[in-house]
Amino acid sequence: MKLAIDERWNLIDKIAKQVVKYGTYRSTLKDAIEEITVKPLTGIPIAIAVLYGFWAFFGAFAGFFTDGFFVKFFDNHWLPWLQGVFPGKGGWLYYILVGDPTASNCFEAFGALTSGLFVAIGVVLPAIIAFYLFLTILEDSGYLPRLAVLIDTVLHKIGLHGFAIVPMILSLGCNVPAVAATRALETKKQRFMMAVLLAIFIPCGAQLGIMLEIIPQYVGFVMIYLFAGFFIFGFILNKLIPGKSPEILLDVPPYQMPIGRNVRGKLWIRVKGFFTVAIPFVLLGVIIVNIMYLTGFLGWLANVLEPVLCGWFGVPKETVGPLIAAFLRKDLAVAQLSTINMTIYQLVTSVILVSLYFPCVATFAMLIREGKEEGWRGVLQYLFGSLATLTAVVFLWGGLIHLVWIILGVV
Amino acid sequence: MNKETKFIIGRVYFTVFGLIVLGIGIIEILLGLTGRSFEYGIIEISGEFLLWRGVILFSAGAFYLSGVKNFSDIRQYAKIVMASVMVWIIAGMQIFGMILESIPGGEEGGWFNTLEGFLATYSPPYIPSLFLLPFSLVVFYYIKLIEEPRGEDKNKRGNSSVNRG
Repeated sequence: MKLAIDERWNLIDKIAKQVVKYGTYRSTLKDAIEEITVKPLTGIPIAIAVLYGFWAFFGAFAGFFTDGFFVKFFDNHWLPWLQGVFPGKGGWLYYILVGDPTASNCFEAFGALTSGLFVAIGVVLPAIIAFYLFLTILEDSGYLPRLAVLIDTVLHKIGLHGFAIVPMILSLGCNVPAVAATRALETKKQRFMMAVLLAIFIPCGAQLGIMLEIIPQYVGFVMIYLFAGFFIFGFILNKLIPGKSPEILLDVPPYQMPIGRNVRGKLWIRVKGFFTVAIPFVLLGVIIVNIMYLTGFLGWLANVLEPVLCGWFGVPKETVGPLIAAFLRKDLAVAQLSTINMTIYQLVTSVILVSLYFPCVATFAMLIREGKEEGWRGVLQYLFGSLATLTAVVFLWGGLIHLVWIILGVV
Repeated sequence: MNKETKFIIGRVYFTVFGLIVLGIGIIEILLGLTGRSFEYGIIEISGEFLLWRGVILFSAGAFYLSGVKNFSDIRQYAKIVMASVMVWIIAGMQIFGMILESIPGGEEGGWFNTLEGFLATYSPPYIPSLFLLPFSLVVFYYIKLIEEPRGEDKNKRGNSSVNRG
């Protein structure tokens, strides 16, 4: 059936009368709130409040399970029981699996079944659940894209754009999915920069959980120091690496109440993914470090690296063990640091070094995989590019903190 | 009482409240910067993230004061709502922390807290945001008042004509 022009317009009129609502649109409170949360003047203080809430929730939730129950369970029940029933006290196997037979807590024992399990389940698991729960709520409520809009101007200074906040925040949970999330960025330059910067400068949730346990009053300082490094080295990389940093248009969804079922589903997937990866690496890390210690390799390496560790970074040579463990699990390495006799400033420097020194093996594998997306040339670029960056960062940014302590006269 | 009078009362209320919040924010920032703490009766200004709490309360106070100008405009009132949300975040996290702290037993105690220990967790002193919390709830009354539909704004349906240009 073919309609004449007038008939078509009449039909359009008829449909429009039924479906189009006319009148003055009156902004709702939700519209107004959506608007003020993306304007810098009002949005930044709100973002500070949200991040404060994030941090306070993280600390309270993780502390409730770790200090309230897991420390008690592992130190008062699990460790004494294992020390009593495990055969061959003082032997190699005992040392590797249970650790120091005279230890009175799981941080000091350093066996795979004592410190290894305590770190993975007692400390890291509550921290990871707290982190992902809050992150999922922020994501599903529609606040995360607004944070991206807010930080867009700042990230443009280092050749990235606001959406880079997503891998950055994911990285505070685990660097592995964060490196994968850099795929959302437009250019090769942006992807490489973001992947390398977050692998070096952003501590994962597991590491944060342990840091809160051993240096609670210095975590803020460590984070500020690392984030400052992120932006300074980001600025330098942006100048050095050729390539484009184009503008993007970001779709900001309306605010909505997160749906319980979706939050639970996302939380379960993320925690399960983390759990299946973390535990084997923590246990493997403890076993490898214990074997290196028992064979004398760790002592030899500590002596070889002593001039660099003590002279340049101002930390004891014994930190070589945690630095090796950091290649497998950074949380484990930080836990190990707490058992070494050193000043609080050396401990803070060591924690910073563990963060900067090398991404954990899972993140490193992910970096290489991302490079592979662009062929073998990409693999080589990611491999040598990230190694060169992290070598420069460790010596410059790691050495600088030692210089700060010298200037402050606390060394 | 007509709507206009209620708005005038609201404007005065949130101006006074905003000044108090702003003042507490300034005190917390100063104490946070100097590393000191303050305790008087049942009020305590100390603890972790004091400086950040100060920055948040200072901003909330500024939002209240900025929002009272042209108070009945929804865009202005949104600032007051967000200022209250900022107070709720600090107070809410404090309450959440107290609840979680009250459940497990101490380091040397059993798995769960004793009744005395449980109740002691909730005893004063409290941080200022906990006192500000109930006063910030007035925001809900004005949300209801501002969102009430006005006669002239009622949407009309069907009085349309399509431009055939």
